[in-house]
Amino acid sequence: MTALNTAPRTVRSAPARAITPPAKPRRPWRTVITVAITLLVVLVFWSVKVDWARTANLPADIARYLWLMFSNPAWDRVPEALWQTWRSVEMAWVGCLLGIVISFPLSFLAARGIGPAPVRLALRGLFSLIRAVPEIVIAIVILSVTGLTPLTGALALAVNGIGTLGKWGYEAIEGVHPGPIEAVKAAGGSRWQTVRWGIWPQAAPEFVSFWLYRFEINVRASAVLGLIGVGGIGDMLTSYTQYREWPTVGALLIVVIIVTIAIDLTSGAIRRRITEGSKARDLA
Amino acid sequence: MSAAEYPGLPAKPGGRWKIWLAIAIIAAITAVTLAPGIGVDFSLDAIVRNWRNGAEKIGQLLVPDWSFFPRTIEPLIETLQMAVIASVIGAIVSVPLSMWAARLTNPNRITRGLVRTILNIVRAVPDLLYAAVLVAMVGVGALPGIIALVLFNVGIVVKLVSEAIESGDPGPGEAARAAGGTQTQINRAALLPDIWPPFINQALYAFELNVRASTVLGLVGAGGLGLLIDAVRTFYRYDQLALIILEILVVVVLIDWASAAMRKRLK
Repeated sequence: MTALNTAPRTVRSAPARAITPPAKPRRPWRTVITVAITLLVVLVFWSVKVDWARTANLPADIARYLWLMFSNPAWDRVPEALWQTWRSVEMAWVGCLLGIVISFPLSFLAARGIGPAPVRLALRGLFSLIRAVPEIVIAIVILSVTGLTPLTGALALAVNGIGTLGKWGYEAIEGVHPGPIEAVKAAGGSRWQTVRWGIWPQAAPEFVSFWLYRFEINVRASAVLGLIGVGGIGDMLTSYTQYREWPTVGALLIVVIIVTIAIDLTSGAIRRRITEGSKARDLA
Repeated sequence: MSAAEYPGLPAKPGGRWKIWLAIAIIAAITAVTLAPGIGVDFSLDAIVRNWRNGAEKIGQLLVPDWSFFPRTIEPLIETLQMAVIASVIGAIVSVPLSMWAARLTNPNRITRGLVRTILNIVRAVPDLLYAAVLVAMVGVGALPGIIALVLFNVGIVVKLVSEAIESGDPGPGEAARAAGGTQTQINRAALLPDIWPPFINQALYAFELNVRASTVLGLVGAGGLGLLIDAVRTFYRYDQLALIILEILVVVVLIDWASAAMRKRLK
C-alpha cells in the first residue's frame, strides 16, 4: 500500500500537503434520541412480566403443536369450516358495502374545495377517531343493540370502514388533476357538475381500487370478529382451540389461509386491471 | 346529439356494458349475502326489541367511570410493553428476511420464492387468531401476545421493505459486483445503507399498528388492556368500557403523532 501512495508524489511537483477530511457532521439530537430509545427499550424488556427463561423451550413447544395441528388435519371438519368461512366473508361483504354507501358522500364533503370548512374538519376528526378504535371494540359496543349475530359484525366493519374509506376518499379527491375541474368551471358548471364531470372520472379508478382493498381488510377482520361470538370462522376456531382439538385447529387455519390468499389474489388482480388498464390494449 | 348531427364527433367509446356487468355481479353477490337462511340476517325486530336496553348501554358509554382509572394503568402499560417488545424483535428479524425476499439482495430464485411464500402464508392469518392459538399453546400472559405481534410485524415489514429494495437503485449493487464482491459483501457494503431509511420508516409504521393491535389481544387472554375489556364486557359495565376506549384513543393518537413526526424528520 505504501508503494501505491508514494508513487504519484514523485510525479507531482507540488509539495505534498496533508489532506484534512471534512469533519463528520454532528447530530447531537440524533444521538440523544437514539440513546433515549435504547434505554426505553431496555427498560421495557426488563420490566415486562414475561418469564424469559421459559422462552428457551418455546421453539420445541411450538414445533410440537405445529406437528399436532398439521401432521393429520381433521379434513372431515372442512365442510363446516367452509360454511363458517362463508358467514365471515358475508359479514365482510355487507360491512364493506354499507361502509362504501355511507362514506362515499362523506368523503366528498370532507375534501378541500367541496365541503365547507367546519363540516370538513368535523368529518376528518370523525374519520380519525373511528380509525383509532379497533373494530372488535366497535363490535362490543354495537352488540348491546343487535346481539351476537353476524349483523353485529357487518355493522362493526361498516363503522370501521367509514374511518378508512372516508380518509382514502378525500385524499383521492384532493389528489386529482385540477385541469378538468377548471375546465368544467370555465364552461359554467355548477358545483355538482364539477364533482360529476371534473373530479369523479379521475378519481373513480382509485375509489374502486380502495373499495376492493377494504374488502380484503374486512375478510381478515371478519375472521377476528368471530372471537367475541358473532359467528363465522373465528368463532369456530376459538371453540376448538379451547377444546384443544389441534387437528381441527390445523384444518381451520388451512381453510383461513387458503380463502384469504385466494380472495387477496382475485381482488389484487382486479385492482391492477382497474388502475393499470389491460395489457392487450397497450399493444394495439 | 347523434354523430349524424355533428359529423366531426367521434363515436362514444364502447365497453359501457362492462360497468353494468360489474354492477350486476355486485348486486347478485349482495342478494346472496342478504338471503334468509344463508345470508346475514337483517332481523330488524331483534334490534327493535333490544333498542331500549341498547340505548341505555350507549348512554352509559357517554359517561365514563373515572374511578376505574387506577385499575387500567397496569394493563395499559402492559399493552405498550407488548407493542414495544414485539416491534423491536420484529424489526430485528425483518432485516435479514427482507433481504432474502428482494431480488436485488437475493438473486437466488428458489430461496427468495420460499421466503416470500412463507411470509404470504404468515400474513394471511390475522393477529388475534395467532394470539388465540398461542394462548392455548404457551398459556395466558404477555408472551403469546408478543409472539402474535412479532408474526404480524414481520409479515408487514418484510413485504414493504423488500418492495422498497426492489424499487431502489441497482447501481451501487452492480458497481460492487463489478468490483468482484460476493453477494454478502454487496448487500453489506452497497445495498444496506439504502435500506435503512425505508426500514426505519416501516418499522415505526408497524409500531403504530402494534399499539392499536395490542390493545385488543387481551380479549383472547394475551395480556394488556384487552383482558380488562373482556372483564368489563362480561359485566356489561359500559361506563368502564368508555374509559378504556378513551384511553385507547389517547394512546393511539399520541403514538401515531409521535411516530409520524419522527418519520417525517427521517425523510
